[in-house]
Amino acid sequence: MEQRLANSWRQTVNEKNFIVNALLSELRVDGRRPFDYRKLTIKFGKDDGSSEVQLGHTHVMAIVSGQLLQPYKERPNEGTLAVFTEFSPMADPSFEPGRPTESAVELGRVVDRGLRESRAVDTESLCVLSGKLVWAIRIDIHILDNGGNLVDAANIAALAALLTFRRPECSLGGEDGQQVVVHPPEMRDPIPLIIHHLPIAVTFGFFSNENIMVIDPTHHEEAVMTGRMTATVNANGDVCSIHKPGGEGVNHRVLMHCLKLAHVKAGDITAKIKDAVEIYNTQRALRKIKRHSSSVALDVGGTPAKSGEKQNQVDGSQLPQSKFKDEASSMECDATSSGQEQNNKRDGVSQKFIGGPSSWDPYSECVNPDLLKASLASHGPATQRTQKGSRSETKAEEPPQEMKIDSSPTDAGLAAAQNNEGKTLKDAVKPKNKRKKKKVSSNSGN
Amino acid sequence: MKAGKLRFSKPNKYWVESSQKRYVPHPEDSVLGIVVDSRSDNFLVDIKGPSLAFLPVLAFEGGTRRNIPKFEVGTLIYVRVVKANPGMNPELSCTDATGKGGEFGALKEGFMFECSTGLSRTLLSSPTCPVLEALGKKLSFEIAIGLNGRVWVNSASPSTTIIVSNAIMNSESLSGAQQRIMVEKLLQKIQ
Repeated sequence: MEQRLANSWRQTVNEKNFIVNALLSELRVDGRRPFDYRKLTIKFGKDDGSSEVQLGHTHVMAIVSGQLLQPYKERPNEGTLAVFTEFSPMADPSFEPGRPTESAVELGRVVDRGLRESRAVDTESLCVLSGKLVWAIRIDIHILDNGGNLVDAANIAALAALLTFRRPECSLGGEDGQQVVVHPPEMRDPIPLIIHHLPIAVTFGFFSNENIMVIDPTHHEEAVMTGRMTATVNANGDVCSIHKPGGEGVNHRVLMHCLKLAHVKAGDITAKIKDAVEIYNTQRALRKIKRHSSSVALDVGGTPAKSGEKQNQVDGSQLPQSKFKDEASSMECDATSSGQEQNNKRDGVSQKFIGGPSSWDPYSECVNPDLLKASLASHGPATQRTQKGSRSETKAEEPPQEMKIDSSPTDAGLAAAQNNEGKTLKDAVKPKNKRKKKKVSSNSGN
Repeated sequence: MKAGKLRFSKPNKYWVESSQKRYVPHPEDSVLGIVVDSRSDNFLVDIKGPSLAFLPVLAFEGGTRRNIPKFEVGTLIYVRVVKANPGMNPELSCTDATGKGGEFGALKEGFMFECSTGLSRTLLSSPTCPVLEALGKKLSFEIAIGLNGRVWVNSASPSTTIIVSNAIMNSESLSGAQQRIMVEKLLQKIQ
């Protein structure tokens, strides 16, 4: 109790008065003008669909994930969208772990309303089997540092994450067209969500003096202001939502002025988000390009799906994809799948790799027994060995590619990419093989 | 023992200087506190330490039961730490050791911001810290620095206060020369 009293943040009377007085002369404590936004930085994580936004001192992270679920009964043809917020205790002394507080729920609702009501995310394209299976998109917003104006930052983070999220492509197969096959990222590129427009949330703070209004309040200003309003507007000028939770009443003229300002700000922020996403996409495409250009040339399979946890052990693996895709039943996915379609023709050593991603992942099912039998038949005892065994086999066959695969296990494509390099730089590369082999064998020993 | 820089002063004094956001109360430190509550015999004051500190209602110059000052919650006061034992709430006073009031007491108006303990020690060092010197040459303001990482600035116009406070906040990790350059740039932007 004492600790909590001592640790909580307090504001002095001096500060309150100063902030209001300075605003009378249109000055804000951090040197901004009343309608200026703080510096906005948008970064992306390694995986698709994760973003990190910094708006001044406010730091927010958003992760988008998708799962195949049953749709709601009233909307059998539409995918679903859900927003979850987590106010981490490291963000602010007043945040407690456990149940979301009112403000956490409020933040989630504002972000959700902006996306859902305006139909920014196309949910009909998320339907896989009408009435049975649809993509359920989940946005998790984590607040890492509370520097004020969490709503705007969280909204930008959610949008950036949605724009960079890629969901696995799935197709209908089977005799009656009712079996769904989810293709892993290596076989078919995951596809982005269809997002029609970007609803940007702009928060206004009102102070007891009628004429004072600020955009993007800081934590200290939030403690002083007497009313707030969040207007979610897109760059086209459409008002997606207005959220005014109590507080000081505002004149309708002020409200219209706010909406116009929000429109201008929305334009700026939309441009910034799009630029950041553009840069991320070009980087992503660069990685993709390497993979495709080299895969034509050589004889090695790519790395298995979801190699995230098993990076160090990943190796060339080969499954006759084309044969078994048709036979795949219901939701089973080639857990050990790897390489692209061209790899089907090549010889390689197949490898049993049971991925270990999160439990709901569609392609973490156990291996199809038919596949197992087929691969056993085609490749003999090699397939039953541990990764060490298969690795040594591939080593014998394709040393240069082997080395390259080890060096960049995370990206499936890179493996093949480096195979290409291996071919062209074979002579230069050979001496390195020995080193890598030793490393590999010591790795596999682990 | 906290990590920090090893400092030396002739002939034989060595000590370790560290800088944190948290303050560990130490006797004879002058700090800026925020009044949290008032009891019958002392005020509860937040000095950014592990626990709230007590400021006896009589610890003022000429303080008697009849003229107890009225500090409302949120008042900023400049006080001296009298006793600070681990595990106990620290004790404060608005007089110096001899009983004179001096500059202690409530600070009116102005703007307070927080910084690290290292920066507040730098600001209080003599010769004058470069950033204060550079600011003082062009602007007129008054400033109160608490060793607990709180700084209060006041001046005639809010813009001056804002410039001074931002300049000090930015000078956290800058060297002397960098501080002067930063202040110059800031002042140029205004004029």
